[in-house]
Amino acid sequence: MATTKLAFIVRSLPYKTEASRLALTHAIASQTVEIYLKDGDLVEASVSYVGDGVLNCMKGQQGMKHYGITTIEGHAKNSLLLDMRVLICKEDLDKFGLTEDNILMDAEDIGGETKANIVAYSEIQKEMETASHILVC
Amino acid sequence: MKLAVLMSDYRNGIDMIDRLSADSLGIVFVGNGVYHAATKEGGKASSLLDKKANFYALTEDFETRGITSAGLDSRVKAVTYGDLVDVIFNDYEKVIWL
Repeated sequence: MATTKLAFIVRSLPYKTEASRLALTHAIASQTVEIYLKDGDLVEASVSYVGDGVLNCMKGQQGMKHYGITTIEGHAKNSLLLDMRVLICKEDLDKFGLTEDNILMDAEDIGGETKANIVAYSEIQKEMETASHILVC
Repeated sequence: MKLAVLMSDYRNGIDMIDRLSADSLGIVFVGNGVYHAATKEGGKASSLLDKKANFYALTEDFETRGITSAGLDSRVKAVTYGDLVDVIFNDYEKVIWL
């Protein structure tokens, strides 16, 4: 029995490229691969937002209204709904003057119980050190 | 010349704008360029906003990113796609995209 840990590190701004969206969709999709694994083997994904990537977490995104596209906020909510470990770099939030009030911290409105964690970069560093694979997007 | 610059990036292109010279300069923040209009890194607004220019930000793009018009710097005017067509055709002779 083995657990493969995937650390998705989101550093890109949203929408102009698909990078941050792909990080989230791949992290979410990674939960479905167990049908291909041996009994007892697991894949455990986490998503960490650093640098400009923390701007993906802004609340109130209106991509559906203006462009008919699902929002990064919606994907981030789904990751919390799946109880994924979500880390947001405190230093980078501070740099942009953002607080818990401005960013997506939970998915309570769709039944999620897991909350995002605002952490020092050192915690994200630890996340990378304990991961089997690091995927920077 | 009267020049409108559509600024679509947050980290690249500032060096280009710094070197541009125009009698009348309009900077339109679109795509990820809208972060210039609203974010304050280290408490400081984007250095682009210190340029002598008229500033616009595309409503569809900043709202997509969770930014409201109330969050825009006071030097920046929110414009819709419709407004932007009028701005480009009425106020500027040339347009470039960065």
